[in-house]
Amino acid sequence: MTEHAVSRESFAARIWRKTLDGAGVKVGLAWVALLVFAAVFAPFLANSMPLLMSKNGVISAPVLQYLSMEDTWVLATFFIALAVYRLRLGTAKRILLFLLGSALAAVLVNLFVKPPVLVIYDDFRSAAYTEADWRIMPPIPYAPTDYLRDLGSKGLEAPLVTEGHTHLMGTEENGADVLSRMIHACRISLSIGLIASGIALLIGVVVGGLMGYFSGVVDMLGMRLVEIFEDIPTLFLLLTFVAFFGRSLYMMMVIIGVTGWSGYARYVRTEFLKLRKQDYVQAAVASGLPLSSILFRHMLPNGVAPLLVAVSFGVAGAILSEATLSFLGLGVVDAPSWGQMLDQAVKSSTFNWWMAVFPGGAIFMTVFAYNLIGEAFRDAIDPKLSSKAGVNT
Amino acid sequence: MSGQLLEVRNLRTYLQADGREVRAVDDVSFSIPKGDTFCLVGESGSGKSVSALSVIRLLPQDVASHPSGEILFNGCDLLKLDDPGIRAVRGSQIAMIFQEPMTSLNPVLTIGEQITEALQLHRPEMSDAEAEQRTIMALEQVQMPQASRRFRDYPHQLSGGQRQRVMIAMALACEPQLLIADEPTTALDVTVQAEILRLMRKLQDDTGMSMLFITHDFGVVAQMAQWVGVMQQGKMVEVGPCSEVLRKPRHSYTQQLLAALPENLVKPVSVRPHSQNATDQTPLLQIRDLKVWFPIKKGLLRRTVDYVRAVDEVSLDIPQGQIVALVGESGCGKTTLGRAVLQLEQPTSGSIQIQGQELTGLSARELRPLRRKMQIAFQDPQSSLNPRLLIETTLTEPMKVHGIGANHEQRIELAGLLLESVQLKRDFLWRYPHEFSGGQRQRIGLARALTLNPEFIVCDEITSALDVSVQAEILQLLLSIRQQRNLTLLFITHNIGVVEYLSDRTVVMYKGKIVEQGETAQVCGQPQHPYTQKLLEAVPRLSL
Amino acid sequence: MLTYLLRRLLLMIPTLLGITIVVFTVMAMSPGGISAQTLVGGMDMKPQEKQALLEYYNKRYGLDQPAPVQYLRWLNNVSPIGFVTDEHGKRGEFSFNKGMDLGTSFQYGRPVSDILAERIPITLLLNLVTIPFTYLIAIMVGMKSATHRGSVFDVGTSMSMLALWSIPTMLAGVLLLGFFANVQHFHWFPTAGISSREAQDMPFLPHWDETGFVRGFLLDRVWHLVLPVICLSYGSFAALAKLTRTSILENLHSDYARTARAKGLAENDVLWRHVFRNSLLPLITISAGLLPSLLAGSLIVENIFSINGMGQLAVEAVKGRDRELVLSITWVSGFLTLIGYLIADFCYTLADPRVSYD
Repeated sequence: MTEHAVSRESFAARIWRKTLDGAGVKVGLAWVALLVFAAVFAPFLANSMPLLMSKNGVISAPVLQYLSMEDTWVLATFFIALAVYRLRLGTAKRILLFLLGSALAAVLVNLFVKPPVLVIYDDFRSAAYTEADWRIMPPIPYAPTDYLRDLGSKGLEAPLVTEGHTHLMGTEENGADVLSRMIHACRISLSIGLIASGIALLIGVVVGGLMGYFSGVVDMLGMRLVEIFEDIPTLFLLLTFVAFFGRSLYMMMVIIGVTGWSGYARYVRTEFLKLRKQDYVQAAVASGLPLSSILFRHMLPNGVAPLLVAVSFGVAGAILSEATLSFLGLGVVDAPSWGQMLDQAVKSSTFNWWMAVFPGGAIFMTVFAYNLIGEAFRDAIDPKLSSKAGVNT
Repeated sequence: MSGQLLEVRNLRTYLQADGREVRAVDDVSFSIPKGDTFCLVGESGSGKSVSALSVIRLLPQDVASHPSGEILFNGCDLLKLDDPGIRAVRGSQIAMIFQEPMTSLNPVLTIGEQITEALQLHRPEMSDAEAEQRTIMALEQVQMPQASRRFRDYPHQLSGGQRQRVMIAMALACEPQLLIADEPTTALDVTVQAEILRLMRKLQDDTGMSMLFITHDFGVVAQMAQWVGVMQQGKMVEVGPCSEVLRKPRHSYTQQLLAALPENLVKPVSVRPHSQNATDQTPLLQIRDLKVWFPIKKGLLRRTVDYVRAVDEVSLDIPQGQIVALVGESGCGKTTLGRAVLQLEQPTSGSIQIQGQELTGLSARELRPLRRKMQIAFQDPQSSLNPRLLIETTLTEPMKVHGIGANHEQRIELAGLLLESVQLKRDFLWRYPHEFSGGQRQRIGLARALTLNPEFIVCDEITSALDVSVQAEILQLLLSIRQQRNLTLLFITHNIGVVEYLSDRTVVMYKGKIVEQGETAQVCGQPQHPYTQKLLEAVPRLSL
Repeated sequence: MLTYLLRRLLLMIPTLLGITIVVFTVMAMSPGGISAQTLVGGMDMKPQEKQALLEYYNKRYGLDQPAPVQYLRWLNNVSPIGFVTDEHGKRGEFSFNKGMDLGTSFQYGRPVSDILAERIPITLLLNLVTIPFTYLIAIMVGMKSATHRGSVFDVGTSMSMLALWSIPTMLAGVLLLGFFANVQHFHWFPTAGISSREAQDMPFLPHWDETGFVRGFLLDRVWHLVLPVICLSYGSFAALAKLTRTSILENLHSDYARTARAKGLAENDVLWRHVFRNSLLPLITISAGLLPSLLAGSLIVENIFSINGMGQLAVEAVKGRDRELVLSITWVSGFLTLIGYLIADFCYTLADPRVSYD
């Protein structure tokens, strides 16, 4: 009998290790990490106000004063996530803790964080702020909605062309700095990806699970539902939704989620049908274990693997959908978004290449990163093509 | 010795697997005279298949290498031939057939096309018409019914046995001198196996070809071979004439293997508390007129046109404390019956009573307490344990649900005891299934079946996927557990040797019905039903 | 076989109904819904004129009635079996082949069927040219990758395929247009449309005459289609190439390929005579899903390249809240998708002898 290396790791750990074993996925994860960093710390990375300054001996941090509720909540959630990750608890408990923590943070933020309502960015370039003992500015000294009126901005300008102040990626049509908007737009892209996919996943798992476990009439009805949502020209439905309901970021996330669940449902259903026949599930039934245990302890953890692959690709798809909508002129209006910037590339008669290359490039890198991660998961979970000699020794 | 058709000298084959090098064949030598059959025997991982594939050089070049050795075929070293050279040999001088007839034929080509391809490859001057003729002749030679019609059939339209005949016809089409057969009958039912083996012997007599026959079944060896080679972990531990090796094995491994055969196993003297007359007690399990029918739906509105009668009006009594073997070939319904008893399959009609209590028609909640009395162990070691759970969880969860053990520590203690009773170490509790071998997993499966302290266990082909030495251990373990706990077992199998060793009673099934049942000695010694007779005759025995 | 087809066609109906209901509900539930108010609202007219227009719309299209009634009226108009309605919307007798009336578009003021008849062929042309092109290149690339597994070509292409797949369509379109069809950079391709105006008068095939080389209608079309087809195809071809590679590799390692080698076949013959056809099967299955994604891609591509196809129509219909047009586009694309599935299934039966439908 050939000896196999006895590994002392759990199934999940093994999959994770195999996934990380490749160059592509590292690039993908690195990019996603970069995006997360940018999204969370955006107000500190690109802002018109100083991070820290000392004036007449008094140290103040204007950035902190002007942090919006959303900014604060995002920061809080990030640190909660880090803390929960460190704790040694079961996965379900950790997720629950995280959700509770962020809900609590939302409530607290609502109560206590009250930034000034109106922000005039020109002030930060006035003497009150420039004539200080010392000050530390964020790496990119422009806020995303700072239209630089006082500096005589002329709308779309190519990178490094304007004299007096550097715009590494040029400016967009209203005069704001492109790089700054891109950093702040990370938030939208990430949240759209996660929330839309999360909704789609939830609906898909529930419907698919029910179909797979109960079969019969439930299955038939479910399949019809799946077919309907599959056959609807998704983009078209999105367009219809947005055109008729108006543009709102949250609405878009929900809609992308609600239209995209059919793929997950199919996956889950197939897996459940397969799993029902597995011997260990039959053994669980024969031992009289309750339904909840059979579903959640025996079937679901073993069926999750292909979902990981699907979710990675799904997130990529959601980001693309948002970008497409923005491009067609139906996206969010003043919050910075990559798709919206891409739209500006062709709007005028000249081809503003920097509006296409940078935001477009960001979209591309993000989608690419998620695809790489999805591919790595798929290779780790379904190693049919490992170099076997095709021999039964 | 120049009378040898094939001479393998000091062959080494190394395989690359997951970055490591495996010495699949390590300094192996043997030879096959003209017209004789050489059997290569061994357990899984012994290297017998790799040796066969090496002879015909069918191993992928990026994975396999032959650092040393010679393979002399009619004096010519096959290892030194270039690519066109070895291709000229393959199919025309040395042919090979494989184990799985289902996947070894191309599903999108007709069998006629596949056989004529072999012909026209090595006889390019042959016309299409002549090739078709020769193909039909070849099909008739392998006793394929309605050969000329079959020419245009696709592989999926044939049965397993027929497909293997097609493979043989394809291999013999160009009249090779040597036929390599890699476990050709392992995937077939025993009656079909008997026919195929008979066919192969006849063909060998007719054509005078030699055969290199790979198998793990000593009964087959006894029937087919003049020469035997026993392999263990890449090395050839014993070679010699068949009668000598089988009757007077010299190497300890060969002796071990032969001793592990069910026919050679020593049955422990059982001191059972109950008298041999089990007829005066109420049977533990009573099955009456059980039907498990699956509807076949066709047509526009999916109406039920017919049924697959998996279990067709079966009535059976299983006495307490006995091991009842349920035998039959594939598709006879034995697995469905086993599962139906445990309510894992819904019976269409009929009654199943355990200790007088009716099982059919109960709700899940009513059934739960009854489930403690009956459990099941499965065939496939790969899928019988939840890969995500520690062994400890798999064993303690049922206990928790049924209220066995006052707290978690007690349950862990009990689980540890269970593992020890199947001869495994206690700290295996803290490992995952993938860390164990097939045999160990089957033991854990048995331990799981014992968690609720049942009275009745269905063993669904639990040793069919195991090597013969591991099988012997599991069978002996089963007997000792039965002794300790006074269990009743329904042992489903297709292996008659195991039946004779293990069981007290035997039930024979065919196409959903019971054709014969009774004491094992009776059924196996003096079978009454023609099917049972056919079945028993077909089993390849060691003593000829 | 016939029963299977019939059954599939019948099953299409509830799905199509479902799709139209979903879209209709979206429109009805939106702020403003589908009343004449929204159509008339923004226009710059005197109150009486607005009122008159409102009444006209209401009467003509029944926009003052509750949503379910509107839907049922539309459904009745569209289906070939139903009640015959006359000019004033009054119901007549029940008939079994009254023809399909898709309604009139608010925006264009023309019958929907006319508009669709103009636009659909163009979209179909674009998509039907894309499909064989995509498959051809994907199979070639996939096959080379599989047979030279691990080589520079293989590793390089698999990375670039994934990258290619990740490029958002509109970025590609914008870049292609910006760099290759622009006076600012390389003006190799035309900027818009699928044929130039002169092409109408040109003869079909290219030829030479006194003025020099004349493109001819055919080549002119081709020239216009190059960029849009590239834009539409690169995404799916990346996915197909990967699928081809996986499929071929799987089949190269299969048991029947081993049998073929045991017979003495050369590796090349094993590939072409045995593996190839089996490898194509998953590609056929996938083609079913290809059409809907291509239709979606058309939306963007037609927009960027100003091609007057159904995709562009869809965007305008939605933006203009044109109820009739939106509903018809919905069910037509749903219908095309389902027909796509059916054709794919049918092709699969032809290719795989193991499958039979009854």
